[in-house]
Amino acid sequence: MLNPFPLLLRLCLSMWLLADGSAAGKIDFQRDVRPILSDRCFKCHGPDVDKRKAGLRLDVREDSLKPAKSGEHAVVPGKPDASELIARIFSADEKEIMPPPEMKKPLSGEQKVILKRWIAEGAEYQPHWAYVKPVTPCSPPVKQTAWVRNPIDAFVLAKLEASGMRPAAPATLQALARRAALDLTGLPPPPEALAAFIRNPTDNGYEAFVDSLLASPHYGERWARRWLDLARYADTNGYEKDRQRSVWPYRNWVVKALNADMPFDQFTIDQLAGDMLPAATPDQIIATGFHRNTMLNEEGGIDPLEFRFNAMVDRVGTTATTWLGLTMQCCQCHTHKYDPILHTEFYGMMAFLNNADEPDYDLPDAAEAAQYQSRLKQAEALFAKLPEQFPGGKVEAGKAFTAWLADKQKLAVTWTSLKPLEAKSNMPLLTVQPDNSILGSGDITKTDTFDLTYKMAQKHVTAIRLEALPDDSLPSHGPGMCYYEGPKGDFFLGEFKVIVNGKPVKFTAASESYSKNNFGNNPVTALLAVDGNPETGWSCAARYGERHEAVFVPAEPLTGGEVKVQMLMGRHFAATLGHFRISVTSESKAVKAQDLDDSLARLLTLPADQLVSADRDKLFHAFLLKEPKLEKATAEIRKLREPPAAATTLVMRERPASHPRPTFRHHRGEFAQPKEAVEPVTLSVLHPFAKNLPKNRLGFAEWLVSPDNPLTPRVVMNRQWAALFGTGIVKTVQDFGYQGELPSHPELLDWLASEFIKQKWSMKAMHKLMVMSSTYRQSSEGKTPERDAGNRLLSHFPRTRLDAEIIRDAMLSASGLLTEKLGGPSVFPPQPDGVMEVAYGKFSWKTSTGPDRYRRSLYTFMKRTAPFALFTTFDGPTGEACLAARETANSPMQALAGLNDVVVTEAAQALGRVLAASSVSDEQRVTLLFQRALSRDPDAGEREMLLPFVKTQRARLAAGKLDAVKIGGAPGTTMDAAAWTLAARSVFNLDEFLTKG
Amino acid sequence: MFAPTYFSRRHFLKDCGVGLGKIGLAGLLADSFAAEPGNVLGARASHFAPKAKRVIHLFMAGAPSQLEMFDYKPALTKYEGKPIPPEVIGGQRYAFIRPDAAALGPRFQFSKHGQCGAELGETLPHLAGIVDDITIIKSVHTEQFNHAPAQIFFQTGFAVPGRPSIGSWALYGLGAESQNLPAFVVMSTGSGLSGGSALFSSGFLPSVYNGVRFRNTGDPILDVSSPPGIDARVQRESLDLIGGLNRKRLGAVGDPEIATRIAAYEMAFRLQTSAPELTDLSSESKATLDMYGCDPDKPSFARSCLLARRMMERGVRYVNIFHEGWDAHSNVEGNVRTNCKATDQASAALVMDLKQRGLLDDTLVVWGGEFGRTPMVESNSALGRALGRDHHPQAFTVWMAGGGIRKGFTMGETDEMGFNIVEDPVSIFDLQATILHLLGFDHERLTFRTQGRDFRLTDVHGEVIKKILA
Repeated sequence: MLNPFPLLLRLCLSMWLLADGSAAGKIDFQRDVRPILSDRCFKCHGPDVDKRKAGLRLDVREDSLKPAKSGEHAVVPGKPDASELIARIFSADEKEIMPPPEMKKPLSGEQKVILKRWIAEGAEYQPHWAYVKPVTPCSPPVKQTAWVRNPIDAFVLAKLEASGMRPAAPATLQALARRAALDLTGLPPPPEALAAFIRNPTDNGYEAFVDSLLASPHYGERWARRWLDLARYADTNGYEKDRQRSVWPYRNWVVKALNADMPFDQFTIDQLAGDMLPAATPDQIIATGFHRNTMLNEEGGIDPLEFRFNAMVDRVGTTATTWLGLTMQCCQCHTHKYDPILHTEFYGMMAFLNNADEPDYDLPDAAEAAQYQSRLKQAEALFAKLPEQFPGGKVEAGKAFTAWLADKQKLAVTWTSLKPLEAKSNMPLLTVQPDNSILGSGDITKTDTFDLTYKMAQKHVTAIRLEALPDDSLPSHGPGMCYYEGPKGDFFLGEFKVIVNGKPVKFTAASESYSKNNFGNNPVTALLAVDGNPETGWSCAARYGERHEAVFVPAEPLTGGEVKVQMLMGRHFAATLGHFRISVTSESKAVKAQDLDDSLARLLTLPADQLVSADRDKLFHAFLLKEPKLEKATAEIRKLREPPAAATTLVMRERPASHPRPTFRHHRGEFAQPKEAVEPVTLSVLHPFAKNLPKNRLGFAEWLVSPDNPLTPRVVMNRQWAALFGTGIVKTVQDFGYQGELPSHPELLDWLASEFIKQKWSMKAMHKLMVMSSTYRQSSEGKTPERDAGNRLLSHFPRTRLDAEIIRDAMLSASGLLTEKLGGPSVFPPQPDGVMEVAYGKFSWKTSTGPDRYRRSLYTFMKRTAPFALFTTFDGPTGEACLAARETANSPMQALAGLNDVVVTEAAQALGRVLAASSVSDEQRVTLLFQRALSRDPDAGEREMLLPFVKTQRARLAAGKLDAVKIGGAPGTTMDAAAWTLAARSVFNLDEFLTKG
Repeated sequence: MFAPTYFSRRHFLKDCGVGLGKIGLAGLLADSFAAEPGNVLGARASHFAPKAKRVIHLFMAGAPSQLEMFDYKPALTKYEGKPIPPEVIGGQRYAFIRPDAAALGPRFQFSKHGQCGAELGETLPHLAGIVDDITIIKSVHTEQFNHAPAQIFFQTGFAVPGRPSIGSWALYGLGAESQNLPAFVVMSTGSGLSGGSALFSSGFLPSVYNGVRFRNTGDPILDVSSPPGIDARVQRESLDLIGGLNRKRLGAVGDPEIATRIAAYEMAFRLQTSAPELTDLSSESKATLDMYGCDPDKPSFARSCLLARRMMERGVRYVNIFHEGWDAHSNVEGNVRTNCKATDQASAALVMDLKQRGLLDDTLVVWGGEFGRTPMVESNSALGRALGRDHHPQAFTVWMAGGGIRKGFTMGETDEMGFNIVEDPVSIFDLQATILHLLGFDHERLTFRTQGRDFRLTDVHGEVIKKILA
């Protein structure tokens, strides 16, 4: 984009001097004109060429000066009377006037005058500030220099002074400490750290206090919550079924990365493309869970590719919101109506992200692996004793084995696997493996068809065997590829057709080693896979990660030649077989499927005298394990031998180069309307995609955190600012485009963005800078001046209601209940009965017991369709969409929760017990209560209100009007504890407790 | 210690007890219609005079079979066992069946009722008694063919969770009539909801517009009962203490949000009385209970309908009752019979009861599901299904009654097979536009600014269904 301003910027004469209103008089395009044009004109005269009317484009100066289709010039610089735009906006004719009345967005008189003056003054354009790379601005000069602790203050103070205002007095030490602790750790200040700060109330003392908060492991927990809002983290899949998922290791990763102050550029790259880094570590793979937090619809009968597409749309939108502060979701359906972003660029960005498979990742767990080894040893020891446990002892066992062996040998069949010459499918990629098996990967549909071609040398084939094989690349290790609605690893083979030399084979018999239907009790046998009805077939539910086989017997033996196999798979959900092999036999005896490992089956075909003793041992082993008489002993061995159920997490895995997933532009954004294929491209309005970067997810992630990116550092810094100061420097934290609000302190934002990169993307460094500033240390008390009712100029510290999670955590912390354990799977703290009533399928909320009741709120199980009630009441996220800023409503429902919710009740009870147990005066107890809940001492007036309250309640308890045990929630609760419980409950409901002031 | 001068300029917040926080307020103030800024839940004027002041939406979740209840297609019996011609079906994707599934004739007898002669299946004897009070639309279609997305689409105009539900829009537009009860209430009977809480979420609107769940068991509203051992006097004294300390703080700090919070606590206290009073049905006559078929002590659709009427009397603005259970993939006959038994009497009784109390004139009642069911049979031996019907987005039936709705009218026609609409198609956006219209809003002007643009319930679609207006 052409930019005539960098020079000016470098001279610190930035355009913002105009934007702040101080140079009133001359019309400023950025401040005065573009918002009008964008909101009222660009919809039809903007970037979207499809919707453009009259051949007129107003978002680019050269275009606006060209004649429109009519031949008229919309804009003639310096000559409003010759400009058709002016004629049209002032027209009284309903057919002429712009914007047209049906738009229902008329221009105000003032807006018309602005446009007229703008043209009169030359109709100059300016590049949109956010699309131009920030240049480090100089600190502006200020009068009250002593107030300036770091450049943040200079920028803030300059604005205040220019508006004739002054900053507020510093906050009290206690208020500042509480504010900083809540901001940096999401918890009230630890009493010792607070005491140390009060003892040393200097800049150094405050810095030490801040450093201790930044070093606290709770720092990562607090900021992880904010990040997880953007990542739309939840513990369930969303939509109707809303089943549980395991992605908490990703949450652990976020906490860990933030605590380690991982530079934000690396933090970005790991999450978007960690799997693609050279020698990716398990942590880097886990980090890719960021974009696996999209919802998964498991409702019966859905089209999985449609909801995969929806997830991709969400990924593009979330990426744009999180890193670019752009409302890209508009471009799913059409070119952006306001910002210069094309419809095709939306899909171009999708193409970068769209080339990954989405597996579950087994977490490496060294401790668990070691335990498994010891379990195997135990099993071995138990196994050695098995023969003795056989009724009649070793000798009888030997005899029984000989009989078993003879029996099995009679049934044994020599199978020869066929080598696939060709393996095609409608959708998944089929790869032929060295052992002649075929492995599927990629996307699957509800009706997948495999077309396989073999050459059969055998001249007399009496049976065909289909082995369904496990593989680590498949969901739950296979054999199926099912990943939603049905159990992971499930398959459903509806039809198995064989054509030899052009003739369909008729099967008269079929058998299977195992079969089970996951839905209902109807049979799912191999025979049903050759009955001509695709709705019935063979399935092997429950035993995933195991090998199964089906044997099909033709009416007539097959002669050799070309064999075509067609497999039709799926049911009301996609249930494709993921790994399988086809073998044939020429045995003349009746052939049946065997539930025996292939290597053992092979041994059984050997003549008895060729069995070496090791082979015999293996067979003896198998015999013992299958022997019903040893069931009790073998069950224990089987259990010990079960491989550990690894904790899994959702990750990305880039597809092989041989199997890229194409991305298409979707007309009107509809899944069912794919148009031309789209190559990965980044937004032309932003910095170019460097030539040395690979055109894939990894390259894209690096492009995002390029120092040339004008948006990412600003967007990220603005969000941090909003988290601390309640409102962003750009108020619309999710929109930095034309429709977004202009920054209140543009130079400050640019300085923060530049400093962020200078500080090597260190989040802790930036947080420290912000909280060390005088701006942050101001008192929140005082009058809001009329001229700045929104306190955007920060003449005092803005009070903000605390986040839902922080409210709960602060109560737990104040009452001493908080369990400070870091990380791990989600927990189920108590909440009122009936919250899950609305959830489909009656989800059972198994309330945690013990310390897990009182973990930090970050670890509370997030059920998307029925979120934790207290959090919803206080504007917590649902995890359904990327959330850049939370609301801070103030409602009667919050009051009800505050008074009556079980969390508040339990915290008040615990604090009540603590207060009652301390052997001090009631006055001192009030002090203790205030210190624990509000981190300050009460004043006389407050004491005078609390003490009579406690006295009254005590009297009623003593008179038997109130029941101490009921109020205290525990047998043996003293009247004192009950009375102080009620006092604590009231303090937890104070505005001051619920607010960061 | 108490210095009202700091906040009196914004005293309007004090009375309603509801504050928005920063983001919501910004969006609201940017809105184009004239709302009193800040007074987010106070009653306020709509774009034009509303025909309906309140809405009860009986949401038949799971999708009832229009072919058994409203849209009589004898031709299906004729074609039973034969596939529907592919040119009729087009490219429609189905959830469970294959497109070549055979036709299935209606499982019930139909007959004409009332002066209007509306045709209904035999499982709706009570609705048959009020057909002259309602409009039946047989030509509704939707864009979604799976439950959760279709339900969310019906409620929010978008198939993915995150947008405000229609009840939230109504509240955003009209504010509340009652300061003692939530203005947007949600009840449900049957199993859980496919669409979950997204069905009554305020989306990007301020969260004060969220639907409030009235539960069947325990507290009707979450946390409406005081904790164990805390009697009314303790609660009152606690509130006085909280209020006193908060007022002191307000005096020192001057933040009007504190005044709002003080008022919110007072409203919460009133809610603790008004909610149990509302759900206590002992004042209802036996005749009324019998009319609904309601056992006052057992959760049921009938009880929810009766509660809805009581809410209308007490100024609740918008009620959603979800009855889940219509998803007849197998045995559509049994499904329709069971669900009609659970809903027919009470749905009709609600309309009659509102009418006899003079409330029907300005209360809108809407009845319907998220889509229809296929003219084709669903049977699947692997799933153990027979004689069912799959999801059908192309055509289904909704009925409406009350404030501003034509009486004794049937609109729309489908083809011989009941597959496609041939006359007067009505989209979900049209229904939404019409509901907002009846509430006094131009659906194109009821907007909220977020993510850089003005959003509305109907996106860029929707026409008011003029034919059904009284």
